[in-house]
Amino acid sequence: MFLGFASWLHKTPISLALQHQVAWLWPACETLHFTGLALLLGVAGMFDLRLLGFMKRVPISVVKEFMPWALAGFTLNLLTGIIFIISEPAQYFGNPTWWAKVTFLIVAALNAMIFETAYGRRAAAIPAGEDTPIALKVIAGVSLVAWLGVLWAGRMLPFLGAGVGAGL
Amino acid sequence: MEEFLIRLQESDFGVWVSSAPTLLAYPTILMLHTVGLAMVVGPAWVLDMRLLGFGARMPIEALRGAFRIMWIGFAINAATGIALFISEADEKGLKWIFWVKMASIAVALIVTSRLRRVVFGGGKVTEMVPPQAKMLAVASLALWFVAITSGRLMAYIK
Repeated sequence: MFLGFASWLHKTPISLALQHQVAWLWPACETLHFTGLALLLGVAGMFDLRLLGFMKRVPISVVKEFMPWALAGFTLNLLTGIIFIISEPAQYFGNPTWWAKVTFLIVAALNAMIFETAYGRRAAAIPAGEDTPIALKVIAGVSLVAWLGVLWAGRMLPFLGAGVGAGL
Repeated sequence: MEEFLIRLQESDFGVWVSSAPTLLAYPTILMLHTVGLAMVVGPAWVLDMRLLGFGARMPIEALRGAFRIMWIGFAINAATGIALFISEADEKGLKWIFWVKMASIAVALIVTSRLRRVVFGGGKVTEMVPPQAKMLAVASLALWFVAITSGRLMAYIK
C-alpha cells in the first residue's frame, strides 16, 4: 500500500519539481537536517538531564525556557525530512529502517505529550535544588532513548534495509 | 602525501572499516560520529545562546557541566573521525572541503577553550557576560555550523 503511494508521490508535480531542483538542494537540506539534530538533541537532552537529576540548582521552569530552540530544531528537521520524502518516497517507505525511525519518533512525541499533559505543571513547580519524582526520570530516560533511536535509525538508513524498496 | 594516504586506506584497519561485511564497521562508526556531533555542538550552542542573552534566568554557573559532555563527544568524534578518515584517506584527504572542516574545528576548539577561560576561569562565575564572551559565543555558533556543513559536503564535493 505504501509502495503504491510512494510511486504515486514520486510522479506528482511537486516531487518531480524537487527531483529536478538545483543540485545543491539535497546537500543543503542534509546540512540543515544535521543542524536541527544538534539543536534538538542539545536542548532536549539538557532538559532530560535536569529531569534525571542533573543541574538540580536550576528550576525546571528555567531549563524549559530553552525548549523553543528544541522545537525549532525539530521543525527544521521535519521540513527538510518532508523534502527528502517527497523527492525520493520509495527510498523511505520501502525501507524498514525508516519505519523504525518513525516508530522512535512516535514514541518520543507521545512521551512528550504525556509529560506536558500529565506532569507539565507539576514539573514546572519543582524548585531549584529539588530532585524529581521517579515518573519524571522514566519520562526523561524514554525521551533520551527515543531521540537516540531516531538518530540511530536515520543514520543507518543507507546501510540497513535499504534496497528493499529500490527500483520503484 | 598521496602515497601515504593510499597506504592508510589500504591498511588492514582501513579496509576493515570501509568494507567489513558488518553493520558494526563503517555504519556504526558513522552513526557514533553523529552522536558525538550532537554531544559537542548541542551543549556548545546552548551555552552560546545563554551567553548571548537567551534564557537569562538560567544561571551561567549551571552550564559548567556542558564542557564535560562536549569533551566526551569530542573524544568520540576524534576516535570515530580518525577511523573514518583512515578508511577513505585517499578520497577525503585530498578534498579542500575536508580541510575546511578540520580548520573550522581547530578554530572552534580554540574559541571554546577561550570562552571557558573568560566565563568560567576566575573561580566564581560572574553572571554579567563580558562583551568578549559574546563575541566568542557568536564565533562558536558560526564555527560549529561551518564544521557541520563542510562535514556534510564532503560527501558531495569532489
